[in-house]
Amino acid sequence: MASLPKRIIKETERLVSDPVPGITAEPHEDNLRYFQVTIEGPQQSPYENGVFNLELFLPDDYPMEAPKVRFLTKIYHPNIDKLGRICLDVLKTNWSPALQIRTVLLSVQALLASPNPNDPLANDVAEDWIKDEEGAIKTAREWTEAYASKKDQKSTN
Amino acid sequence: MGNAPGKLGDGTSGPGETGNYRTSSGRSMSASSAGTGNRIPPWNAEYNVRSRRGASLVGNILSTSGRSRADSVGGSQPSKRKSTKEREQAKETHAKQLVVKFDETVDGGFLAPYGCYGFEKLDYDADVVRSLIIDRKLAPFYTPLQDFDESWTKEELIKIVDGLPLHASFDENLEKYEDVAVGNLKKTNFDELIDKTLSKREQRRMRSKIFKARLYRKRIIWQEIENENFLEQKLESKKPNSTSKNNSFLASDDLKYSLYKNGAECPICFLYYPEPLNYSNCCLQPICTECFVQIKRAEPHFPHDEVDPTQPVTNDDEKDPNLLTSDPPNCAYCATPNFAVTYEAKADRRVGIGGMKPSTYKLPKEPSNNDIEPSAERRGSRTQNNADVVASDMIRPDWKAKLDKERARLARRSANATAIHVSNRLIDPDHPSRRGSNYDSSSNRDVQDLEEEMLARAIRLSIADEEVRNQKKSNSR
Repeated sequence: MASLPKRIIKETERLVSDPVPGITAEPHEDNLRYFQVTIEGPQQSPYENGVFNLELFLPDDYPMEAPKVRFLTKIYHPNIDKLGRICLDVLKTNWSPALQIRTVLLSVQALLASPNPNDPLANDVAEDWIKDEEGAIKTAREWTEAYASKKDQKSTN
Repeated sequence: MGNAPGKLGDGTSGPGETGNYRTSSGRSMSASSAGTGNRIPPWNAEYNVRSRRGASLVGNILSTSGRSRADSVGGSQPSKRKSTKEREQAKETHAKQLVVKFDETVDGGFLAPYGCYGFEKLDYDADVVRSLIIDRKLAPFYTPLQDFDESWTKEELIKIVDGLPLHASFDENLEKYEDVAVGNLKKTNFDELIDKTLSKREQRRMRSKIFKARLYRKRIIWQEIENENFLEQKLESKKPNSTSKNNSFLASDDLKYSLYKNGAECPICFLYYPEPLNYSNCCLQPICTECFVQIKRAEPHFPHDEVDPTQPVTNDDEKDPNLLTSDPPNCAYCATPNFAVTYEAKADRRVGIGGMKPSTYKLPKEPSNNDIEPSAERRGSRTQNNADVVASDMIRPDWKAKLDKERARLARRSANATAIHVSNRLIDPDHPSRRGSNYDSSSNRDVQDLEEEMLARAIRLSIADEEVRNQKKSNSR
């Protein structure tokens, strides 16, 4: 295994010394490119009071290639599919090497606050969202309570 | 909160923006290429920087010396296609240019990268980058420090810089080449390593793999030879009455101190480099040369549109190959299209190729005003001199050829697919596309539709071919 680039070491150190409110990211002991992430649902969104587990992986070409991020907790969102994959520009075509783990996770959190059903990944959810926004938001709230409630997190982890 | 650069940090802003820049904004400077190809001997006494400047990059675009290269990249026609041997030769030449040499220095840095990124990622045009560095339009490849501590004394800092290697350590046993026999690296011919019982195609694949593994090993050896030379010279220079002329390539203690005392961290690789770094032309953010040469166009792709989820999605296969786009990279920091940087070398520290010998550099007695460069002045001089701006496309002039090649490939594939599809429908009465349709009444119309479809595809294909031909013509002119 090639040694870990300085950038990844420094980013990890800075995530610990200067954490982002509402977001945690800890590298795996065996693989320092693999992070366990939690993101708190933004206030005034259907995901409020939820804590979502994600995984983040830094590919070999990071930072020239975007990190791979996936939701592990079930979530009802038009830009996140059943497998937890996320449709977010900065994770794909708009990735820039000047972005970091912290900025990407902030973008994911922002996506929870503003779903975009016109650029969907989960087609069925997006359709619901366009046809009946109120109903979709209600479902998202129910899912948050069912799968991402804080006390639930503690018991499963 | 974070250091998200405004435009990019906001995950919701304009997801479908790519594809809008499908203009030829970068074309004027990048369609033609500018490689000199000739290596400049270090310290050639007659070597005159001024005359070189005149004849450098921009000059080459206009003159004929850059032409042979343009021809060679533009060719996708079989008659012009390079042989395997020629292509291997070109790759080897390229790899040689990526070796960091201690006697090829510019302002205390080098003409080849230290090795933060993998060897296979160094696919930029080495001739162009070397010329840009020698012309002081791009910062040289400096050896980075992993960390920097303000409290270091001059002696401590010099000691640390003295211990820096020319190149990062190599991963000697790369997993992907683990089981590849490379044979005798001194022999240029390695045909005997290829299993002749395999099919032609398999043989080609095997040859390419062996070639890559051999080149990887060779490159390590080339760099190690340089490393040893460098070390020897350093030891030699420590001797009291050293007479070796080669020592003059080594940096004086004053130069080491001047370089590394006032450095900065590159925001992309997080390593510490001597100032001045390159600065983005749009938002004046620093970027080291090693990271700059990594930034390039995305592979040719279809524009990413916002889709209506209630409408069926068009497959990439069914899209018009001419819609394939490739945009110049955006600024990594502010997302301004067509990323470009500028570099302002320190006038009082002009050493190496085109300057004084690094071993003779002495710190100016008075702290020079250049150290506290007002940024307003910097901004002013930057926007005036367009000729000194280095755009990302300039260091990979082959992007146009790549795009055309991909378009042609896609056009061929879709034409083939259509042909197969159509013949299936015509021949096989039980083909799924026929079943279910009421073909008693509509079979006649089906055939007509198909013929029209085939005709449309054929026309599209020949238009695409014609375009490629025209481009080639204009390239060779």
